Amino acid sequence: MLRFELKKIWSKRMNQGAVLLLLVIVIAGSFLAARDVKYYKEDGSSVSGIFAAGRLRREKNKWKGYVTEDVLKKVVEENKRAHDEADTADGAFIKYQGLSDLREWINSGMAGRENYDYYLCDSISTDTAATLYEKRVSLLKEEFAGQGYSKEEKEVLLRRYGEFEAPLYYGYADGWKAVLDSQYLPTLMIISIVIIGFLVSGVFSCEFQLGADSVFFSANYGRNRGVLAKVEACFAVVTVIYWAAMLLFTGLVLGMLGAQGAGLMIQTDSLNWMCMYNITFAEKWLLTMFGGYVAHLCILFFAVLVSAKSRSAVAAVTIPFALSCAPMFLGRVPFLTKAMNLFPDMLLRISTFLRDNLIYTIGGKGHGVYEILIPVYLLLALLMMPVMYAGYRRSELG
Amino acid sequence: MELRINNLTKEFGGFTAVDHLNLTMENGVYGLLGVNGAGKTTFMKMLCTLLTPTEGEIRCNGREIREMDGEYRKILGYLPQDFGFYPEFSVQDYLLYIAALKGLRPVVAKRRARELIEKTGLRKAAKKKMRALSGGMKRRAGIAQAMLNNPKILVLDEPTAGLDPNERIRFRNLISELAEERLVLLSTHIVSDVEYIANQILLMKGGRIVLEGEASELIDSMEEGVWSVFARKNEVSAFMKKYKVSNLKTEHDGVELRIIAGKRPARDAVLVDANLEDVFLYYFGEKAGEENAAV
Repeated sequence: MLRFELKKIWSKRMNQGAVLLLLVIVIAGSFLAARDVKYYKEDGSSVSGIFAAGRLRREKNKWKGYVTEDVLKKVVEENKRAHDEADTADGAFIKYQGLSDLREWINSGMAGRENYDYYLCDSISTDTAATLYEKRVSLLKEEFAGQGYSKEEKEVLLRRYGEFEAPLYYGYADGWKAVLDSQYLPTLMIISIVIIGFLVSGVFSCEFQLGADSVFFSANYGRNRGVLAKVEACFAVVTVIYWAAMLLFTGLVLGMLGAQGAGLMIQTDSLNWMCMYNITFAEKWLLTMFGGYVAHLCILFFAVLVSAKSRSAVAAVTIPFALSCAPMFLGRVPFLTKAMNLFPDMLLRISTFLRDNLIYTIGGKGHGVYEILIPVYLLLALLMMPVMYAGYRRSELG
Repeated sequence: MELRINNLTKEFGGFTAVDHLNLTMENGVYGLLGVNGAGKTTFMKMLCTLLTPTEGEIRCNGREIREMDGEYRKILGYLPQDFGFYPEFSVQDYLLYIAALKGLRPVVAKRRARELIEKTGLRKAAKKKMRALSGGMKRRAGIAQAMLNNPKILVLDEPTAGLDPNERIRFRNLISELAEERLVLLSTHIVSDVEYIANQILLMKGGRIVLEGEASELIDSMEEGVWSVFARKNEVSAFMKKYKVSNLKTEHDGVELRIIAGKRPARDAVLVDANLEDVFLYYFGEKAGEENAAV
């Protein structure tokens, strides 16, 4: 029966078009993400994506290894030499682009979130640069004084920062950074949830819309296995399409830029320098993808549940769009921010929000927001399956 | 096979669609006649477990059908009035899907689908998408799906509605052929269909069975006679106002009327044999006249 449920979905031209659209978006998104990685040649021209990857890898891997105090000092010296040798700032960049990541560590790591200075590394002393890892904790403590952190939040942050192991191991990881730290992944997840919502919109409502409900429910398995096949079809479509889209996106970007650096800590990307989660790029990828999957399951099952109740496909199409976009805008209203950060759409944006160190206190203990959201929404998604089944099988046909 | 309906009632808000209905049916073809809103479809939906009765019960060989659950639906075939289908499925795929829903093993499902495609004359259309079928073909696919599980109870709600005369005859014959060794309940307001194929006729009105029996018993139950009257055209409206007129036939020199009346309606009126259409009009009055326009 599952085969026929899937056939019902796939046989619609509109659904075939929707899947094709998602495929095009994934491919386009992966090329755009890769294109953001650039390498500047001596003559000032640049290449990007797959053409930049090899050169950048070669340049950056010259710095591969543990970034100790000595290495940090060397970064400052090399940066200075590049500026001395070049006539212009652009010319200097061409020379130091192999150490540009480490230069950014110093720029963002020494200044803190609010006082970022792109030219800091050009003026800093080698001894000051060597204190980068100590500065990370002191900047956090400065933040505690300025912003309204609760006791529990401070405890969590200090504990996590304490668990941070310095020195960091550095290497080329531009492929992973392009996958995880670009704006394309959260956008792709929103598009994917809307398109999958479109695909599953008719699973529970098509019998009512087509007038096939009487035959369905009067059949032997119409109130048990037939309904179960619908739940399975929703689960299968969400799972297969979501993971296919995400694996294709990841595979294409890594295919173009290289998969090296999976085991590096995410803090090696300066954007994540202050992130409290001590995880590798591969672990962040798993967390981001699994969180996105939970959001897809939860939002789409809810949409399907409403569509089964209302016997209309409209809900299943509109709810994913509303739930994945509306909280993002409402969250900009200051007094709603804290509440909106608990909506499931946050799971679609783990790659960007992970570095914001959002902490919520439950039972006197602080927890990272994703430590709460992932299990709660996973549980909700799992609970919605029997609710869908039980509600639909009792349908009355007046 | 015995279906016993005890005190069956279905209310929607304040409206009683089926009103304390009592009936016993055994193998054979039952024709359910009634005007629109008589409660036929609601009754059939309860028979098919699609609606829960407000009161009363339906027992199949002594067991309550809702308690039997899948066991009851396993022996049930249903062709609803508004037969919906999956437009993108071919006839064959549609039948295989419904067969799976009915719990047929894939090998049996394929064999049954093939047999029924043959029997319903859909062989050439087997690979066609359902949306490309004509109205008659869709109804044939409908009867095929109802027969997939070789049901002991077959419920057909308005199976010939919208079919052209040829298709209707073909369909009627098909139902007669399929009716052996099972209980068939056929709802319609096309009286001639019932007259041809039903052994027992049930007249439903206001949610109740007001009369049941064979066609001849129903005809005999009429307390008025059926008269054939030849009238001038300007007399027709007077007859229409005064009597129940079951048929009008315009000739070049006047109109031949078929009138139901307790006594001779005109001096030259001739007493003729009553038929089921007359019974329908007799019991359902003016409303039946409107419905029976389709006959």
